[in-house]
Amino acid sequence: MTRVLDNLLPVLHTKDGPFTRELLQEPGKFGLGMLPAKSEPQATTQSVCGYCSTGCGLTLHLRNGEASGLTPTTDYPVNLGMACPKGWEALRVLQAEDRATSPLLRDGGRQPREISWDEAANTFVKRMRAIQQRHGPDSVAFISTGQMTTEEMAFLGAFAKFGMGTRHGDGNTRQCMATSVVAYKQAFGFDAPPYTYADFEESDVLVFIGSNPCLAHPIMWERVMRNPHDPKIVVIDPRMTETAMRADLHVAVRPKGDQVLLYGVARLLIENGWINQDFIEAHTHGFQKFVDFVQPYSLEHVEQETGITAHAVRRLAETIHQGERVSFWWTMGVNQSHQGVRTAQAIINLALMTGNIGRPGTGANSITGQCNAMGSRLFSNTTNLLGGHDFANSEHRRKVASILEMDEALIPRELGWPYHRIMEGILRGEIRGLWVICTNPAHSWINQHFAQDVLGRLDFLVVQDMYTTTETARMADLLLPAAGWGEKDGTFINSERRIGVIKKVTRAPGQALADFAIFRLLAHHWGCGDLFRRWTSPENVFQLLKELSRDQPCDFSGIADYGAIEAAGGIQWPYRDAEQDAGTERHLFSDGRFFHQDGKARFLFEEPRPLPEPASEEWPFTLLTGRGSASQWHTQTRTAKSDVLRKLYPEDPYVEVNPSDARELGILPGDLITVRSQRGVLEAKVHVASTMQPGQVFMPMHYDVTNRLTHPTFDPYSSQPAYKACAVRLEPHA
Amino acid sequence: MSRAIELPIILRDVAEPSNPPADSLSDELLREQRQLTAVEEFARAESSGEMPAQAKYYRSLLPAAPPGPGQQYAFDVDLDRCSGCKACVTACHTLNGLDEHETWRDVGLLVGGTTSLPVLQHVTTACHHCVEPGCLEACPVNAYEKDQLTGIVKHLDDQCFGCQYCTLACPYDVPKYHAKKGIVRKCDMCSSRLAAGEAPACVQACPHEAIRIQVVDVEQAVEAAEADNFLPAAPDPQITLPTTTYRTRRVFPRNTLPADYYSVNPQHPHWPLVLMLVLTQLSVGAFLVALALEYALSVDLRDTWRAMHAPFALGCGLLALAASTLHLGRPHLAYRAILGIRHSWLSREIVAFGLFAALATTYCAAVSFPIDAIQPFRGPLAWSVAVVGVVAVFCSVMIYVATWRECWNFPRTALRFGLSMGLLGATASSFTLLLLSSVASSARIQALAAEAVPLTLRLLAVLAAAKLLWEASAFFHLSSRRMTAMKRSALLMAHPLSHMALARFALGLLGGIVLPLLVIINGGHSGTVEWIVMLGMLAGACVLGEILERYLFFAAAAAPRMPGGIR
Repeated sequence: MTRVLDNLLPVLHTKDGPFTRELLQEPGKFGLGMLPAKSEPQATTQSVCGYCSTGCGLTLHLRNGEASGLTPTTDYPVNLGMACPKGWEALRVLQAEDRATSPLLRDGGRQPREISWDEAANTFVKRMRAIQQRHGPDSVAFISTGQMTTEEMAFLGAFAKFGMGTRHGDGNTRQCMATSVVAYKQAFGFDAPPYTYADFEESDVLVFIGSNPCLAHPIMWERVMRNPHDPKIVVIDPRMTETAMRADLHVAVRPKGDQVLLYGVARLLIENGWINQDFIEAHTHGFQKFVDFVQPYSLEHVEQETGITAHAVRRLAETIHQGERVSFWWTMGVNQSHQGVRTAQAIINLALMTGNIGRPGTGANSITGQCNAMGSRLFSNTTNLLGGHDFANSEHRRKVASILEMDEALIPRELGWPYHRIMEGILRGEIRGLWVICTNPAHSWINQHFAQDVLGRLDFLVVQDMYTTTETARMADLLLPAAGWGEKDGTFINSERRIGVIKKVTRAPGQALADFAIFRLLAHHWGCGDLFRRWTSPENVFQLLKELSRDQPCDFSGIADYGAIEAAGGIQWPYRDAEQDAGTERHLFSDGRFFHQDGKARFLFEEPRPLPEPASEEWPFTLLTGRGSASQWHTQTRTAKSDVLRKLYPEDPYVEVNPSDARELGILPGDLITVRSQRGVLEAKVHVASTMQPGQVFMPMHYDVTNRLTHPTFDPYSSQPAYKACAVRLEPHA
Repeated sequence: MSRAIELPIILRDVAEPSNPPADSLSDELLREQRQLTAVEEFARAESSGEMPAQAKYYRSLLPAAPPGPGQQYAFDVDLDRCSGCKACVTACHTLNGLDEHETWRDVGLLVGGTTSLPVLQHVTTACHHCVEPGCLEACPVNAYEKDQLTGIVKHLDDQCFGCQYCTLACPYDVPKYHAKKGIVRKCDMCSSRLAAGEAPACVQACPHEAIRIQVVDVEQAVEAAEADNFLPAAPDPQITLPTTTYRTRRVFPRNTLPADYYSVNPQHPHWPLVLMLVLTQLSVGAFLVALALEYALSVDLRDTWRAMHAPFALGCGLLALAASTLHLGRPHLAYRAILGIRHSWLSREIVAFGLFAALATTYCAAVSFPIDAIQPFRGPLAWSVAVVGVVAVFCSVMIYVATWRECWNFPRTALRFGLSMGLLGATASSFTLLLLSSVASSARIQALAAEAVPLTLRLLAVLAAAKLLWEASAFFHLSSRRMTAMKRSALLMAHPLSHMALARFALGLLGGIVLPLLVIINGGHSGTVEWIVMLGMLAGACVLGEILERYLFFAAAAAPRMPGGIR
């Protein structure tokens, strides 16, 4: 009887079987901990993440030599074993049905047809050359990215400018950190974000301006959360954000009121003598003029212009004064503005005048956007000559030409056009051929209808992308299929100037090639293969880049090779040798010497200008745009490919509205409404929350419709588009 | 336009490209692309199998000692540290090896406060490993276990037969049905990691150390639940006594609401259950009304009546049972349903309907084949079919009542199912009588119909009117200012499901009131084609109306859930 029961029981009640075994975990190897048995790695290797500028280390799990999964790297000094959802899902998005697997040529409006790489390269050369012969060498241009490796950026910039002979090329980095570049260059003498992430942990006061690291840079926020000094956190942002929720003081400044506010704070600090006179005298230039300049920024004036009470401004100034180690951090809220450069410099001024720079836990620190924005800043050959050099400087041209063993005459003597001027050039017929690499302007460029119209006017549009379905790829005459992160080798430079290595751990689909290989192929077909005879592998190019950086502030000539970078857990520039530049977490300016000839930093300031498109009776709301969640990246070309990431953000566009505005308009949560600006119109669901101030609404930038509304104004110094504020109307549906 | 540079020399000899055979390079590049970074160059040596590297960060997030008697493991969430990055969701997904679409953790959003003091709080949530888990109570096959030592509520994937009752019974929407596999899966607090001294995936992956594992006293968890000290706008913790602690230094304002508070989404309609419920209630109702009718009929007509109605009623019952197995992800394991009889209303329902089917078959045989030996038992048999049928429908009612959803509470569900039973029973009787009387010319059948039909049709009309009124009264909740569960249900019927709702009321009116009244008033044109069509319409409208009613019962049922994100 018991035997019958014993036999019967497992049939009736079973605790084991195929389903249970499917989720079985086994003790991890390689220090990884327990992992699903079905994907147990046979080996691991290191890489850095390919989304944002945080530059997290990821441990790639390998099976049969190919990546089968990943976990964040514990002993990488950036992320301490953590990653945001994008990083966790980084491999998943490579497997998508719309990956570009073969060059595609659209001739005559029909469906594009698959062609060979040689035909693609020949077409590229033939069509681009034909345009150049007819309209001059500068009639073709490129728009690139902050997402490629530094070696690829350099190859593209060198090939386009030295090989193809065009002068005009820019990157989507113009949309994210051009403002910081100019602000730093003018103030410090070189584009040099001075901080290291350890500063997040060492400050006793952190001031975030136009920055929401909780969503935009969650792993940087990790470092803030690990600060053992119980720091005071100040957030200056029109919206109540996740970061503002954690702040001791949230200053809900009016959109673009930040510059006035910062001048007001500077005045108060000066008035109270809360400044570091010794530092100012020894290491800065132009302070007295600044003192005179800020005189009119009284508390009353500030309150009138920004909506911030005298009490709050005083608290802000006091908090800065009371801090021993105050760090200032800004992101797109400052950069994407009609006066971003001066606003960033208003922040730099505060750090300089209080001596909060060059010491641990201090600094005027721009948090960059993309994984290799910093690589692009130094080596894209667009806003400066390779390696932070000057196109106009003959000595610089000679140095670059000699390192690259090329004819110096091939180097242009002046800057090319910035992004918006290239777009304008297309409109005016000055630019007829455009090569878009690894970015999606038909989605992301400000005033999207205009951008799409402009791109449609080109004689020849080449798009080089991983996917065939981006808004821009769909417009391409020639689509070049690119391998993505994880399918190629190279280096990125993160926000704290740390160089990290990425690896080819999985095979690109079909005929897709690494951007590096595409540039090689095109250069070869262009007939300038000889110019790039040493550019045969990313690591060879890295050796050239090292030489280019020599004696620059960004000098990393002391790095041996990729292996050395990996062994050190990434290496920050400058790195001349192990002796001069020791330590895994280094900030700049410890000696108080800046990169201007006289070694002094500059106080730079200017009368703030009003919002280019203020709200009016007809357009009563100010639309703010920005990042919607940590699971979305930019135009969602990659992040929308993961089922899990898609579950983590709202599927449809939404607009965040203050309850009193919603009540007045008679709209209810979840209603579908029309949002209209002078440039475009869209439909969005209403999310009612008092996180928005009355009169302001917010939309995430990731949705393909958002930029229909944005207003194309640009910072006069950095040419960065001002995405953050434009006037709109909300129209409830009947 | 001025140009500062000379054209590169290369441009000048366009006509005569000096390229070497080009295909060689593109082939070489494609070949290179296939070669991955040499692993041996970078791959790390296998470590000596000590604690994982990450342990140095998460050690402080785990309890020092395992739970003692009267204690269990529980999640502890520090809301002041949860920033809404949702890394926990993806880490859980990856480290547990879940399928592409599958997630066991979720992050919702609470918003509230005023313009001068707004509140925005993300909330990470997974299984609460309750003291009295709704899933475990509901499971008919004992596929849930609450671990004696750790208190972890574990799902036995190979035991599950995919009835999905736990997905209705859990107030927190934790168990997730995996349609491809035909089973439910859920969070087990990474019990094998905990057993090895490692932290669960979410704990080790939260960049902000917002999630930790703690040991709680069960008594303490019960007290906290009783004090409703769980999380604003979350389902009532008294139902299942969740053990997760949500900590914050903040006081949430009174108006704190989930970001998805106002969104209403139709729920899964569970079509096999819709059919099963309607058909079982039809079957039981048919037996009940027939039995009642016996007492109203002349004695000599009773035998005829019994032989007429029983096969039809039985047929519906058997069809219902067949439909119910369609709802199982793994129907071949249906026999396991007996295991949960002590706690699961679904087990009880299955057993009760099994018994009902057996009794009804016996009864049907007894009335169809007049064997003298059985005749003394026929009366008690009829009564036992009726009683067991009512008990079985009661079990059906309790399945939904036990989920604690407001729209499925006892009076609402019992009234719905009870009225359905009567209405469908009256329909079945009317239909059987009218159909047979119009095709068979036997005087006995004509007499039977003349006596019975007015009764059954009147009963049908009365019950239908009562039921439709009752159902329509749900729309009163639309006027409620608060977004109650009942208002959500009404909103669902009024908006996304309005076509279904409209069809339901139209069919109910037609089959339950208009057509029966027509028949009563006009009397019989018995035998004509129109007559038979009308009969078919009457019965069809009633049954289809009830099917739609049951569809709405599921699809418009506002389900409790943890706070969700913006939708």
